[in-house]
Amino acid sequence: MNNVQPKPFVIAEAGKCIGCKACELACFAVHNDDNGVGAVVGTVTVPVIPRLHVIRTESFTLPVQCRQCENAPCAEACPVQAIRQEEGVIVIHAESCIGCKGCAMACPFGAISLYKAYSNGKVVPQIQLKDQQHTPLERMAKVIAYKCDLCRTRDYEGGAAGNVPACVEVCPVEALSLVHPDTRLSRSRTAAAMRL
Amino acid sequence: MSYDPIIHIDEQLCTGCRRCAAVCPVDAIIGEPGHPQTIDAHRCVVCGQCVQICTAYAADNESTLASRAVKLQERGQLPNVHEPLFAAYSSGDIQKVKAVLADPKRFKVVQCAPAIRVSLAEEFGLPFGTLTPGKMAAALRRLKFDRIYDTNFAADVTIMEEGSELIGRVMSGERLPMFTSCCPAWVKHAETAAPELLNHLSSCKSPMQMGGALFKTYGAELDGIAPADIFSVAVMPCTCKKFECSREEMNVEGCREVDLVITTRELASLIKDQGIDFIHLPEEPFDSPLGKYSGAGSIFGVTGGVMEAAIRTGYELITHEQIPNLQLDFVRGEEGIRTAEVQIGDLELKVAVVAGLKYVDAVLAKVGEGTCPYHFIEVMACPEGCVSGGGQPKLLLETQRKCAYQARKSAVYRHDSHQKVRKSHENPDIIKLYKDFLGEPLGDTSHHLLHTKFVDRSVKEEMS
Repeated sequence: MNNVQPKPFVIAEAGKCIGCKACELACFAVHNDDNGVGAVVGTVTVPVIPRLHVIRTESFTLPVQCRQCENAPCAEACPVQAIRQEEGVIVIHAESCIGCKGCAMACPFGAISLYKAYSNGKVVPQIQLKDQQHTPLERMAKVIAYKCDLCRTRDYEGGAAGNVPACVEVCPVEALSLVHPDTRLSRSRTAAAMRL
Repeated sequence: MSYDPIIHIDEQLCTGCRRCAAVCPVDAIIGEPGHPQTIDAHRCVVCGQCVQICTAYAADNESTLASRAVKLQERGQLPNVHEPLFAAYSSGDIQKVKAVLADPKRFKVVQCAPAIRVSLAEEFGLPFGTLTPGKMAAALRRLKFDRIYDTNFAADVTIMEEGSELIGRVMSGERLPMFTSCCPAWVKHAETAAPELLNHLSSCKSPMQMGGALFKTYGAELDGIAPADIFSVAVMPCTCKKFECSREEMNVEGCREVDLVITTRELASLIKDQGIDFIHLPEEPFDSPLGKYSGAGSIFGVTGGVMEAAIRTGYELITHEQIPNLQLDFVRGEEGIRTAEVQIGDLELKVAVVAGLKYVDAVLAKVGEGTCPYHFIEVMACPEGCVSGGGQPKLLLETQRKCAYQARKSAVYRHDSHQKVRKSHENPDIIKLYKDFLGEPLGDTSHHLLHTKFVDRSVKEEMS
C-alpha cells in the first residue's frame, strides 16, 4: 500500500504566539472531567497538567506538542505497548503506562511529559512501591506519560464538537492550527506552482 | 492616604501577553509585550476584567516561583484552596471573614448581590446560570451568619430613592442627564476622568451601601443590637466593591456601613473550606424584613436592569396607572450602548444603557458639550453588567464566555419573572421600611443614610 494518509497534528507559529498559556489551560480543562474539572477555575482541585507546553526563550514564545509521527519513536520505545495509534492519533494508555520515561526520551520534540496520575480528583497511589523517606511509609504516586491526543474524545460545552482541538480553538491570536498534511501539501504545491 | 490597590499582577507569573490590556476599559495596564505588566492604580477602576481574562497560571513544576502557600497568603486566600493561581488577581478578604465568623461576640450580617445566586453554583460544577438563591441562603446560615439579608432588598430601596430623584430632576430639568451610581467602577472612573460632571450622577449610594447603612440602623433597632456590635459582610460579583466599602464617607453613626466585601469566588472557597455540601443543601429563605425582594431588585445584576426596574416604578409613580408591560425588552441586551424612548404619560423619557466602561467616554464628552439628549443613563463597567463582574467564577475556556454570560442573564430574568412582586414600590417590606423608619424617599433620614457625595480624583495620589 503506497497510498498513505498522513495523520493530522497541531502546530504553532512562533511569530504569532503571545505566551498567554490559554492553550495549556484549555488543554487541561477538557481532559479532566474525571477529576471534577468543570467550566470554572473554582472546580479545579488537581494541578494543571497540560499536554502541550508553551516554551519561552529570549526572543519568542511557542507551544510545543506532539506531531503524531508516522513512525512514532515513542511507541517504539515503549516496553509495554502502552502507546498505540487509534483513529489516526497516537495515544498513551494511562492504565498500561509504567512511567519508564522511554517515550519522553525518544521524542525529538519534547512533547511527552511525566506527571502524577489523578483519578476522581485524587492522586492515584501505587499498590506496592512505598517511599522509604517517610515514616510511616507512604505509598508512592503513580506517574504516567502525558501527551497531545488531539482532543479526540472531547466534546465540551461551547466547543466545536471535537472538530478542532481545544488549544486551537482558544488561541486568541490564531497561532495554533490543526494541520491536515494532505491539504497542506497540495496547497503548498499549488502555491509553489503559481510562483513559477 | 494609602490603600491597597486591590487588583494586582504577580510579576513572577505574568508572561506579558497583554490580553488584560485588551480588556481593560481605562488603559491602566502598562508594560512591554513579553514582560511582566504593572497597573496604574490611579487610572484603574478595579473592575477585575483583567483577573477574569488572565490565563498565565502558576505551573506546578516551576521551581523559580515562590511557594503556593506564600502566594495564597499574599493574596488573602484560604490556605487549602486548590485552584490554580494566575498572574492577575484581586486581594482577598476571606481569611478575615472566616476569623469574624468564629467570634461568637459579633452579630454577623450578610448580604449577597443579585448576580451571586446565578453564578455561585458554577463553582461547585453545576451548569452556567444555575439559580440557587435558597441554597446560597442555606450555606450562609451554616457559615454562622446571624442574619441573611439581601442586596436585592436594598436594590428595591435604591429604586425608591433613585426613581424619585429622577422624577424630580426630569420635572425641574435640573442636572440632566442623570447617571446611575450603583457601579463603583463607573463612579471611580467619573471621579477620575470627568470630575466636572459629577453633579450628573445620582446622589444615591449603591444598593450594597444602602443595605449596609440600613442593617446597622433599622436592622440594629429591630434586633435590639448596638450598631458597633454588628459585623456586616457583603458578597459581591465585583472586585471594585472592596474599594467602595472602604471609601471614607461610607459610614453610619461612626461605623463602616459594610465591614468587608468578598467575591463570589471567595464565598465558594469558604463554603468548601467548611466542608459544606453545597449541591445537596436545602432551599432556605432569606431573613425578614431586610431580605425580601421584588423582581425589580433582582434584575440589577444585568445590564439594563437598573433602568428596567426604575422604569417599572417611575412609570407608576408618575402616571398612577399600572405599567402595561413589565418586561422591557428595549433596555435588555449586550455590551455597548442601547437607547430608547419611553412614553410615560405626557413625558417622553429618553434613556440610554451603557454596558462596558470603554463606551462611556463618548457619552461623557457629549454631556460635557451639553449635547447629550438623554434624561437617564445607566452605566455598568463590566461588559454585560454584574453577571460578568471581576469577582465572578472565572472561566477556564474563553470560548464559553458568551454562553456563560447568556445563561447567567437568563437566570436573572427567570428569577424576576417568578417573583410575585415585580416592582420595588410594591414590595411590602419596602412599604413598611418607609412607613416605620425612612418616612419618604429623599426625606431627611434617606438623605442622611442613603445618599452620598462624590470626590474629585483627577489628581494622581501616591498609592502604596
